[in-house]
Amino acid sequence: MRKIVILFISLLLENFAYPFEIKNENFEYAGFLKTEVWLKINNDNQHLFLSSFKNTFDLETEYKISENWVFFTHLRYYYDFAYDIRNRENFDRNQSISGHTPRTHWLRDCYLDFNSDKLDLRLGKQQVVWGQTDIPILDRVMPLDLSWWWLRDLEEIRIPLWMIKAEYLTSLNSTLQVLIIPDFEANRSAPAYDTFSFRSVNAFYDFKNLMKSLGGNVIVKNYSVPKKFKNSTFGVRWRSIIPGFDLEYTFNYLYGYTYSAYTYFEGVKNIKGIFGALPIADYYYSRRHKRYQLFGFSFAKSFVEAGILKGLTLKGEFCFIHKEPAYYGISGSRVITENTDKYNWGLALERYIFTNWLVNLQLLQFRTKDFTKQGYKLLDTATYGIQDKYENYLILKVMTDFMHERLKPELLILWQDDNSGRIVSKVKYELRENIWLKLGVAHFFGELDTPNGEFRNKDQLFFEVKYTF
Amino acid sequence: MKRGLLISILYLGLISITFSQDLEYHKLYSLTDGMTAEQIMKIMYHNKYSLFAKDITFKGEVIYIDSPTFQRKRKYKKSRIILGKDGFSYKELTVITYPTEVKGLAVLVWSYISPQKDQQVWLWLPSLKKVRKISASQDDDSFMGSDFTVEEVSTRRFEDETYRLIGEKVFSGYEFDYMKKTIFKGRRCYVIEAKPKKKNWYYAKRIVWIDKEIGGNIYEEYFDKKGRLFKKIFRYWKLIDVNGKKYPTQIALEVKDLRTNHKTIILMEDIKYDQNIKEEYFTVKTLMRQRW
Repeated sequence: MRKIVILFISLLLENFAYPFEIKNENFEYAGFLKTEVWLKINNDNQHLFLSSFKNTFDLETEYKISENWVFFTHLRYYYDFAYDIRNRENFDRNQSISGHTPRTHWLRDCYLDFNSDKLDLRLGKQQVVWGQTDIPILDRVMPLDLSWWWLRDLEEIRIPLWMIKAEYLTSLNSTLQVLIIPDFEANRSAPAYDTFSFRSVNAFYDFKNLMKSLGGNVIVKNYSVPKKFKNSTFGVRWRSIIPGFDLEYTFNYLYGYTYSAYTYFEGVKNIKGIFGALPIADYYYSRRHKRYQLFGFSFAKSFVEAGILKGLTLKGEFCFIHKEPAYYGISGSRVITENTDKYNWGLALERYIFTNWLVNLQLLQFRTKDFTKQGYKLLDTATYGIQDKYENYLILKVMTDFMHERLKPELLILWQDDNSGRIVSKVKYELRENIWLKLGVAHFFGELDTPNGEFRNKDQLFFEVKYTF
Repeated sequence: MKRGLLISILYLGLISITFSQDLEYHKLYSLTDGMTAEQIMKIMYHNKYSLFAKDITFKGEVIYIDSPTFQRKRKYKKSRIILGKDGFSYKELTVITYPTEVKGLAVLVWSYISPQKDQQVWLWLPSLKKVRKISASQDDDSFMGSDFTVEEVSTRRFEDETYRLIGEKVFSGYEFDYMKKTIFKGRRCYVIEAKPKKKNWYYAKRIVWIDKEIGGNIYEEYFDKKGRLFKKIFRYWKLIDVNGKKYPTQIALEVKDLRTNHKTIILMEDIKYDQNIKEEYFTVKTLMRQRW
């Protein structure tokens, strides 16, 4: 797909009658240099206090080829000096994976835009976002980089893909969006024993090392999705507004491969002995991405007429995921991987209070159809903890500003019904127009086998300086 | 005689009935002698929101004077289509272009004819790469962090206040520091006292000076409940020739908050009218074109 887009762009540029030159008035750029320092507040003797000392260079450029055509690129490169400064084996082993922008991931966006009254086309590497809430329910178009859990901006967490996006205005307030995504990238998570590595990843890493030390072996075959057109992800979204009632709604459909690779146990061979209750042998696993379908809808309504609800915005989304893999086993141990259906929904209320305090309250529920399979219970994929049939989340976000929007504090409280969650508080300050400071703290709580609780000893204090140009 | 008197009374009644109805969209109105406070203010609001035009685009710059030695800026592009139909007064799209940290933040606003209905607002957030439907800001909230409130810039309507004509006066001129000159000295103005209908609002009354020739509010003074002057707003209007018609247009605003000694200036440039912008431009589809 990448090659097709580059070829298309080249042919297009060649076909223009005038020589291609970058005219100042048509060219625009902006970017930033950022340094961020993350310090671990808890001392669990597993990690040194410096979680990250990351330096980022970001550059966006836009060239207006004509009234309807625009070429846009976005580059971002980072280097994390924490891996050079620290002196702990596991941590520094991850330097090649987490210490800097890997492979070609420095190219975040690279696309050609065609805009007209009726049709908008975007060809190239880009992000597409669905949904109304902040936890991805419908927002499943892009793979995610969760190597820092959910602590980065969502724009940074989503991994852009090469795709064709077409948006057609069928009537004044209705659009049909079609996505063809031949590109594929797997979700990313932190490697074993990195700051925010999942318990399941650490456990598997330990198991591999244990087997190796005992004379056994763990062989994992990764089945990545070949980047062929037949393996593309296809998406359709219909968006419209009910006139008179001013209710905005979407219907969504997505067909593609799961961005998460799921582990399947393929068998045991060459049993050489026993270690406790564990055979010393060659264990075979595969990691696969599976085809699934998503059906969903969302809505948003702002109450603008006089009455008790005036000023309130109500948003919601729902999705049904057909045949997505899930893990089943006993607490802390995955036994089987089986397909199941999932029903997820979320509701959000938002309103300004006290003039400029924006309060956003969200209620979300994730439900898996099959709570047990073959006598084994549903597990959380990140922690291998037993997952409830219904996982409920409550999110509260409060944002405001002071000093003529120079000082912007923000608070996020996420609570899960198993009494786990996280609290992230940050404040942003505009020192100068082009210099911004940020200070924040992230606190995790809950049991170790819960998605946020597993990081309860990884509370972070972070500080950032950003220079924009 | 009696019949003539009756006809005259009916005729005058018709004129006043006609004028007391809403002004027509896409039509220019001028201030004339003998108008009531309500008539003057209706025309003022008509001009303030450019309801005489089909559409308007301009580039804006907000300058925050935090102290004599420290200033900050925000720049934006705005497009507005004036509708006056299907329940809509106007729709507008604002995109922030400077500084880089907020570049690309875009706001789509649909404003209704009915004064009972708040605006519909959508926000494009670059950090989320997503369009969000949001609640309209509280009217007394600061506009883009400035000393203007949202109401003073974009949401206050004729129906929100009661009016009393104080009289006709000659404006003594405004010392516009940013342009280093005195503006509108000697201009003949209507002076009107306006009081908000909302209870416990951020101001108790304001005195508005409306230029008789331009039909725009060139100067306002805001008073609190204790009668203390706490804010001054100056609006620099010009008549811009558009295909032979003189369109009253704000090209600069300055507000001084006397409580904080903070000042904000808004400059408008590259103002264009009647470019035949299509209504399709003011949809979420356009917001989703944002790249930054």
